[in-house]
Amino acid sequence: MGGDHGPAEAVRAAAALSLDRPDLHLILVGDVPEFSPILDEERYDPARLSFRHTPQWVHQESSPKDALRERPDASILVACSLVADGAADAVVTSGSTGAAILAAAERLGRIPGVRRCALAAVTPTEQRHGPHGDPFALLLDVGATLDVTARDLVTFAIMGSAYSAAISGNERPRVALLSNGTEPKKGPREVVAAHRILAGLQEIDFAGNVEGLDIPKGTVDVVVTGGFLGNVILKMLEGFGAVISDLAADAYARKFLWRLGLTMLSSGLKQIQTVMDWEQYGGAPVLGFAQPIIKAHGRSKHRAIANACKVAAKAARSDMVATVERAVAQLPDQEAS
Amino acid sequence: MSAGAPGWRHVYRWDLDKTYLDTHFESLRKLARIPFERPEQKVNIPGSAALLRELCADLPDQRPSRVAIVSGSPTQMRRVLEKKLRLDGVAWHEFHLKPQWKNIKRGRFRAMRNQVGYKLPLLLRSRAELGEVVPETLFGDDAEADAFIYSLYADLIAGRVDARLLRKVLARAGAYDEEVEGCVSHLAHIEPADSVETIFVHLDRRTPPSWFRMFGPRLVPVFNYFQAALVLFARDHLSPEGVVRVTRAFLDADGAGVDELANLFQDILRRGHLPGRSMQALGQAMQADAEGERAVIERCAERFETLGPARAYRGSAPPPSPDYLAMWDRFKGRA
Repeated sequence: MGGDHGPAEAVRAAAALSLDRPDLHLILVGDVPEFSPILDEERYDPARLSFRHTPQWVHQESSPKDALRERPDASILVACSLVADGAADAVVTSGSTGAAILAAAERLGRIPGVRRCALAAVTPTEQRHGPHGDPFALLLDVGATLDVTARDLVTFAIMGSAYSAAISGNERPRVALLSNGTEPKKGPREVVAAHRILAGLQEIDFAGNVEGLDIPKGTVDVVVTGGFLGNVILKMLEGFGAVISDLAADAYARKFLWRLGLTMLSSGLKQIQTVMDWEQYGGAPVLGFAQPIIKAHGRSKHRAIANACKVAAKAARSDMVATVERAVAQLPDQEAS
Repeated sequence: MSAGAPGWRHVYRWDLDKTYLDTHFESLRKLARIPFERPEQKVNIPGSAALLRELCADLPDQRPSRVAIVSGSPTQMRRVLEKKLRLDGVAWHEFHLKPQWKNIKRGRFRAMRNQVGYKLPLLLRSRAELGEVVPETLFGDDAEADAFIYSLYADLIAGRVDARLLRKVLARAGAYDEEVEGCVSHLAHIEPADSVETIFVHLDRRTPPSWFRMFGPRLVPVFNYFQAALVLFARDHLSPEGVVRVTRAFLDADGAGVDELANLFQDILRRGHLPGRSMQALGQAMQADAEGERAVIERCAERFETLGPARAYRGSAPPPSPDYLAMWDRFKGRA
């Protein structure tokens, strides 16, 4: 249990959620004697928490495949088993992404028709989306599948569209492929092939290709790409947010006039900071598994993990997996291959 | 039954507000209404009445237990509070309320808020008047200084804290001279014995349990009285049937389900206040026919298994060398 900060942040998130969200029951899977003293330092509601002890976990730096083979009781495997057995409705983890995906593949299984899974993250956008005017769009895959085929990209598009519909209430989200030009023939082979298939599908609202600049603009609701590029983009957006904050802080300290200007702009800057704050969006669902699994950032503090748990609860309650499964089932075999 | 009657099995000392009665208020208007509530309008902390009924019940071939209540509520509320206790089917042997009007008339305004100078002399006097060594269990809450007062009381009657230190602590706690002298005088009449078995602190404010670690495992912070019932069962104060009846009180109340109670069981086990062997004995309570209670016990057994080695029992010993002056500095905001 836990990401870069060990179990402490996950325990604090669970403690806070036990008080704020009495509709949730949280099961903490991990080394109970290790995290017990952390929990006892917090205010919490014990009626909403239970514990599943396992002394094994996967280190961030170890090879996920080897670690899971050597540690059959690793916390991520146990957590996935609890969901597979019906004792829980969703898994939330801020641990190793590779281990989470392998554990989910082993214990939860994939939705029929899904060859590879996709990590779907939300990115802040200028334009608003869906009936609730969400200030973000969905970007997938952001790191689950590094090498993708055209069929994978098509599946990601279908899954992203279904997820957006289930979670954001956006009945027919606009979906696009990320490329280096809007023309159908632009981009690597798999993107061109995926474009051809998606353009012929009635099941989703395919908007064609979009370029990188369309991501922050929010031209479409769902942007589809491979895991390698998606991860680079996601980290770059996070980096921008951090650099803007650092630059503003630096400017504030340097000159009185800059300080004055920043003070006058403070409410606007605060708004930008809020939109760019990845912690508020919680975790990213790994789409394609037969049960919900939400991956929180490895650097997540308790607020981000708590928000990831809220995303998990929403995914479970909205029967997101069934929606995705129905959408994937509509995909004709010849088009998906 | 009068104080001093011989042959008590056990003494249970209870606070009332936020320990036995739910006196939460969301507005000043609701606060102002509390003194005018009728007995039937008073609301219990869930499970408190069921547990106290079990503890004060007469058992065949056993000496009676004694119930002593020391509350910070004003004496003007005696009639209403006594009626409330009678409605709950609770019997008591001592019932002390705070003489607030007397404090105002005498200009003792500090005494109106001070709990240490009020409760400690009463506890020591009650103990001195018992005239025999009887084991005790104390019930308070985290809203004021109950944990501090009860622990100090327990260590005073055990002889671990002497009159000299007591004077210093009371002076720092802002007690009046007559309260200090009263405590010292009562203490002189008490035969030292380590007779406080357990101090329960109801976490009404959800204070983190680690906050009470300085008092040692003799003090058990509980989130509700289901947890207290489990600990009391493990320490032979409650029968399996008693646990079943307290459990029923929770199942009948709104918001308490099988999973919630099993989680509360796992929490008290995780915090080391419940010996593992008590699980086996709890299994016997399953003889109860009622489906709900049986489901709770079964779910508790599952939680027991999933906790693994984290269920190390901490025992119930007092802290080895409590520094009550330092402890008071931590507690003064609550008194």
